[in-house]
Amino acid sequence: MEFIGEHTLIGNLGQAFVSIAFAATILAAFSFYRSAINEQLKAIWLPVARAAFYSHGLAIIGVISCMFIMIYNHYFEYQYVWQHSSLELPTHYMISCFWEGQEGSFLLWTFWNIILGSILIKKANSWEPTVLTIVSVIQVFLVSMILGIYVFGIKLGSSPFVLIRNLEENLGLPWTEMANYLQVVPQFMDGRGLNPLLQNYWMVIHPPILFLGFALTMVPFSFAISGLWKKQYSEWIEEALPWTYAGIMVLGTGILMGGAWAYEALSFGGFWAWDPVENSSLVPWIILIAAAHLMLIYRARKAALPTAIGLTILAFILIIYSTYLTRSGILGDTSVHAFAGGLSSQLLVYLLTFTLASIVLFFSRLKHIPSNKKEDVVNSREFWMFIGSMVLFISAFQITWFTSLPVINKVFGTNMAPPLDAIALYNSWQTPLALLIVFLVGITQHLSYKKTNIKKLIKQIAFSLILAGALALYIAYTVQMWHALYLSLLWATLFAAIANFEYWRKILKGNWSHSGASVAHIGFALVIMGALLSNANKRTISSNEGFIAKDFPSNENILLEKGDTTHMGNYHVLYKSDTLLGINKTYEVEYFNLLEDSSYAYQFTLHPFIQLNEIMGNVAEPATEHFALYDVYTHLTYADTDVHDTSNPYHHESLINIKQGDSVIYNQHFLYLDSLMVNANTNLASPEALDVMLIAKLRMQNMQGEFSTTQSIYAVKNNMAQSFPGFIDDGGLKYKFIFEEVNPEAGSIQIKAYEHIDNEKPFIVMKAIIFPYINVLWIGMILMAIGTGIAMIQLFRNKK
Amino acid sequence: MKKTEIVLILLVAVIIGVIMSLTFNASTYITFADAEKQMGKEFTVIGVLNKEKEILFEPRQNLLTFFAVDSLDNERKVYYHDSKPQDFERSEKITMTGFSTDSGFVARTILMKCPSKYNEQQYIQHDTLTSPIY
Repeated sequence: MEFIGEHTLIGNLGQAFVSIAFAATILAAFSFYRSAINEQLKAIWLPVARAAFYSHGLAIIGVISCMFIMIYNHYFEYQYVWQHSSLELPTHYMISCFWEGQEGSFLLWTFWNIILGSILIKKANSWEPTVLTIVSVIQVFLVSMILGIYVFGIKLGSSPFVLIRNLEENLGLPWTEMANYLQVVPQFMDGRGLNPLLQNYWMVIHPPILFLGFALTMVPFSFAISGLWKKQYSEWIEEALPWTYAGIMVLGTGILMGGAWAYEALSFGGFWAWDPVENSSLVPWIILIAAAHLMLIYRARKAALPTAIGLTILAFILIIYSTYLTRSGILGDTSVHAFAGGLSSQLLVYLLTFTLASIVLFFSRLKHIPSNKKEDVVNSREFWMFIGSMVLFISAFQITWFTSLPVINKVFGTNMAPPLDAIALYNSWQTPLALLIVFLVGITQHLSYKKTNIKKLIKQIAFSLILAGALALYIAYTVQMWHALYLSLLWATLFAAIANFEYWRKILKGNWSHSGASVAHIGFALVIMGALLSNANKRTISSNEGFIAKDFPSNENILLEKGDTTHMGNYHVLYKSDTLLGINKTYEVEYFNLLEDSSYAYQFTLHPFIQLNEIMGNVAEPATEHFALYDVYTHLTYADTDVHDTSNPYHHESLINIKQGDSVIYNQHFLYLDSLMVNANTNLASPEALDVMLIAKLRMQNMQGEFSTTQSIYAVKNNMAQSFPGFIDDGGLKYKFIFEEVNPEAGSIQIKAYEHIDNEKPFIVMKAIIFPYINVLWIGMILMAIGTGIAMIQLFRNKK
Repeated sequence: MKKTEIVLILLVAVIIGVIMSLTFNASTYITFADAEKQMGKEFTVIGVLNKEKEILFEPRQNLLTFFAVDSLDNERKVYYHDSKPQDFERSEKITMTGFSTDSGFVARTILMKCPSKYNEQQYIQHDTLTSPIY
């Protein structure tokens, strides 16, 4: 049967590219492996391997191009296009459709691995065969996720080129037998569209950066495994170091961009919520930082090599674990935004293969790995760097263990529920660990390798400690934060920032090319400081004082009636207007300060909005006013999103049966039918042609006794009934009355009464939170990225 | 003993601490009936929204009330003092933390299991099978 309107060519082409990419990466893995194990045959196998890897890369680019063509041209016969895009989606968000689904995001990851693999072919020199073997094996697993073929009855991967009618669950349905199903089934005229939460500029840049970060962890992993494989236990470090820093920079930026997106576009009020999806990308980053510092210890002092190798491998394993957690569906009940499942067992195979292979290789070689037999010196830099790395490890372990609750339940057959206040529990572990880390960040730069002169050390850091203490007291005073642990952490972050600045200024003499560590450490300290100050002191200014139970606020929201000015925190707020622009209904909320002469001083206007989406539900997006020292965050929790028809502004129909001379109570008014005239000759267009005309004279009286009158007319002409409504305006309250019918038996008439939409004041319910010093966090993030970048460039230069 | 070994012993101790911490702090999934044995104490209950009964959201009172059925088919009225989450009516499973009272369960947080991709496809099938499209 020929299906009308399908574009099967592009899908077949795409599927062919997938197959080519898969076959080519298997060939690449095999031939890189051959050239790695046999020096004589290297000359033969290496060119084959490279050609295979490049073909794999081109095929993946082919796959990506086919997908873009399908999305751009709205080929809704394809499941992926139908599921993730729609006709009205702006072009710049089409790029986000690409990675909204599992298949597309695996492709994005695959793409970055290809870029990195191609660079490594050029730059890795003698490491190329082993490193590229590992990269190619990783690619085999990744491409298998988008294969969508059946092997021995098991479905391998899920292809982005599946037609909806070919989906397993649709096979045999009546519409799949219809040649013209695309024309006649209304659901296929348009796609489901992109999730409204992803229609945000952060979601255009955050995923590619995060996936580049994921991909970069593969490079140090591949070098470390190559080192074990080729028994060059320490030589790999020099190669892997700059890549490790690249990974730290990019992954860290990606994670914090996710935080920025959550803060700007999500409604949970904050940039971090210890959500499993966030945690599972944070953990590999922490481990990667620990691994990088252990590599530095080895480089300087030839110590801690086994730990350095172990953690470098672990960082990548944790990336796969993170993928498993977020995409297998196992998180289900504990995370708000995990992907739905589908590839569960395949991901588990991927995870177990790499974990077991790494463990076997690592422990079979452990006794050969040179380790330090010298006694450790407590007042040396390497000792405290090692301690710092271990603290990072504990921090990562705590986050992973708590996030893995569903996995623990599955493995041990338990049925534990997440802690009631999980965020508080995470904080209670991570705050003291952060205190330790940040303090070490401050002091360790000033320690010397081998042995430190303690007197000199005290002299070097005394100034930073004192200045930090004074500043901490001042800042704590501005936000009234006197909790001992928080105050110590604040002091430690300030100390770390100042001490690193001093180190750069005095010891490094302000040299820029060696400033990487100092800048990155200052950035890290500021990130922690910003997180502490903004989170520990965030104030929900919209909440009232009522509590249902201990720590259980009855109301964190404030209700604003249109046009009224209401007191909220330090402000007075006014819900001024709302406008519908495209798919967004925007609410204008003005903030004022009340002056002493009781006049209002205008401060700023926020525009929180609601993205209207019939299919996936409306989504409220917050609006934030940024100041140097704090942010005011405003988020709608309720708003009437009904779009009123402006040509007919009357609603809330009521039926009224009334007799002549009688009265009824309607909307806090008395409504009288003063008279009912039949066939009366009034000045209607052509009264002589009327067959019947009934005129109801209505009088409406309010509670003050004031009244207004109108008449509602019912006319029948040539057997066609027509009604002319009457209108009443009672001091701004407007009503409309339609003469509906006559009820001769009861001797009454029926009137339909309507209220004007302006009679009832529209209102919104919103939440407003003040985040103090949140800019410190963003500045820290930028400094950290710059610092790591400088360190990376320096390391790449040194290598040459 | 080397100092690194002391560090490693400390490390293991803290890791055991982390493991214990989760076990002690983990909440338990219980039923409404069990939650009622200790009124006022917070628990986690997983329930299913009863879509037959009224789901009432009163924005002016900042109160959402609905009926949830737990795993033992016990139904309770649930009070949630916040705005109605997006797509609430479409939820399949609701995880609620909160405490029991005489008049019902007072939820501090509610987490809904969102309808999955699979259901959207079922929805298509359902529509096209039951309504004539010619």
